[in-house]
Amino acid sequence: MKKRGKGIGATFYGTGYGNGFPDVSNCEVELNCQGKIVVYTGATEVGQGAKTVLSQIAAEVMGVDLDSIVLVCEDTCCTPDAGTAAASRQTYNTGNGVRLACIKLKEMIKKVEENHKRVKGLPDEILTMKEIYEASRAQAIILKARDSFTACTSTMDEENGQGSPYWPYTFSCYAVEVEVDTETGRIEVLNAYCAQDVGKAINPVLIEGQIEGGFAMGMSWTLYEDLNLNQGIIKNNNFSKYIIPTSMDMPDICSIIVEDEESTGPYGAKGIGEPVMLAAMPAILNAIHDAVGIRVTKLPASPDYIVKKIQELDKSNLIERK
Amino acid sequence: MKEKICFTLNNKYLSIDADLSMRLIDFLRDELRLTGTKEGCSQGECGACTVIIDGKTANSCLVLLGQIEGAHITTIEGLGDENNIHPIQQAFIEEGAVQCGYCIPGMVLSAKALLDKNCGPDKEYIKRAISGNLCRCTGYKKIEKAIQRASEKMKEAENDD
Ligand code: FES
Ligand code: FES
Repeated sequence: MKKRGKGIGATFYGTGYGNGFPDVSNCEVELNCQGKIVVYTGATEVGQGAKTVLSQIAAEVMGVDLDSIVLVCEDTCCTPDAGTAAASRQTYNTGNGVRLACIKLKEMIKKVEENHKRVKGLPDEILTMKEIYEASRAQAIILKARDSFTACTSTMDEENGQGSPYWPYTFSCYAVEVEVDTETGRIEVLNAYCAQDVGKAINPVLIEGQIEGGFAMGMSWTLYEDLNLNQGIIKNNNFSKYIIPTSMDMPDICSIIVEDEESTGPYGAKGIGEPVMLAAMPAILNAIHDAVGIRVTKLPASPDYIVKKIQELDKSNLIERK
Repeated sequence: MKEKICFTLNNKYLSIDADLSMRLIDFLRDELRLTGTKEGCSQGECGACTVIIDGKTANSCLVLLGQIEGAHITTIEGLGDENNIHPIQQAFIEEGAVQCGYCIPGMVLSAKALLDKNCGPDKEYIKRAISGNLCRCTGYKKIEKAIQRASEKMKEAENDD
C-alpha cells in the first residue's frame, strides 16, 4: 500500500571555522592602467559562485559595473590567503575582506581625484577610472589597497555553554511530502518547499541553485547514500552501489528566500553552502513518521530498513491489541 | 597495433591510423586534446563522458575506437564556443544551470540528442533524457528548465527562418 505523509524540519548552522579558530580572509585590490578594478583573493571557486558573488560585492562598493571588475583567485603566486572554500564561509568571510579592501581603495581614489581637480582648477570635472589611474601616476601614488577580515568567534565556556562559538548562524526550514510504499519500503519525495535564510540575497539565482542542489544532497543522504565501510574498506565504491539521485528521483522544489540582513555580513549576506542540505533530512524523516508511524533512527532510510521498521511496528501493534 | 579507421567527428571527416582497442574517451581527450568530454566513473554510470554517436547518446568510456567505423560523432566541442554559442549552451547560462560544470558537457549533449528528435519535449521527457547524467551540484532543476528554454529558443529560431 502507498501512504503519504508530510513533515517539516528546521535547522540552524554556524558558518565559518568557529570556536575562536582564526578565520581570516585577506584581499588586495588595485586600479589598473585600463581603468579596471583588479581584486586578488585566495578564495576558491568550486561551482558555488564565489567568483560571481565576490565580483558583485567589489562592483557594488566601487560603484562600477561588473565588467569593470577583474577577479583573480586561486593563484598562490599573487592572491593573498582567504582560507578554504569550506565551512560555508566564502560569501561572508571573504565577501567582507573584499568589501573592506575596496572601501580602502575607494578612499584612495577619492583623494587622487580631489587632488587632480584642485591642481587643474576643475572642481566639476568627472573622471573615468582610466583617467584616475593616469592622475595617480602623475601624483606618484600607487592605487592598491589591502585589508583583511577575521570572523568574530570565541570558544564556548564549557561550564555554562555561553559564548559565540560561531558567527553568524544560518537558519533553514524545509517541508516535504513523501509517499511510502509499505510493501517495498521505497520512499518517494513528492514535493519540497525550502525556506532558506540568507541574510541578504546577493545573487538570487545562485542561491536557488544552491538550495536545489543542497536539497538533492540532503535527500540523498537521508534515503540513498551508504559508503558501507567494512574494516576500513569502502564496499559501495561505485555509482551502481553508492546511489545518488538522478533527475527522475527529484521532486519539484519551491525555494523561498528569506532575507533578514546580518549586521556583520557584506551587505547583510551570510553563507548557505552547507545549511541548504541539513533541513531536508529531518523534514523527510518526519514525513515518513506522518505517513507510516515509524521513527527512523539510522541513515540511510533504505527500503529494507523501512520494511523492517514497518513490520516491527505492525508486530507491536498486534501484541498491544491482544 | 595501429589500424586504419574512418569516421566523422564534429562534421569533419577523419581517416586515421590508431590503436582500435583504445577507448573513445581516451582518443578524444589524449590524442585529439578535446578535453570537453569528462571522465567521471569510467564504468558507464555517470554520463560525464557522454557523446552523440549517430544521433544517440553514448558513454564514451564504454566505446572502443574500433566500434565507430563510419559513424558520426558529436562532442561538446562540436556544439559551439564563446564566440558562436549554441542555443542549448546559452540557455544553460541564462538559467544559471551550471555549478561546478563537470556534468555539463554530458548534460548539454543529452539535451541536444533529445531536442534533435523532439523539439517540444515536456518535463517528463526532459527528466528521462538526462536521467543517465549524474549531477552532484544542481539538483537538476535548473538544468531541466534550461533544456525547456533551449527548446523554445530553437523553435523560435526555426520559425524565423
Ligand atoms: S565516465 Fe563514462 S559514464 Fe562515467
Ligand atoms: S554542475 Fe557539478 S556535477 Fe553537475
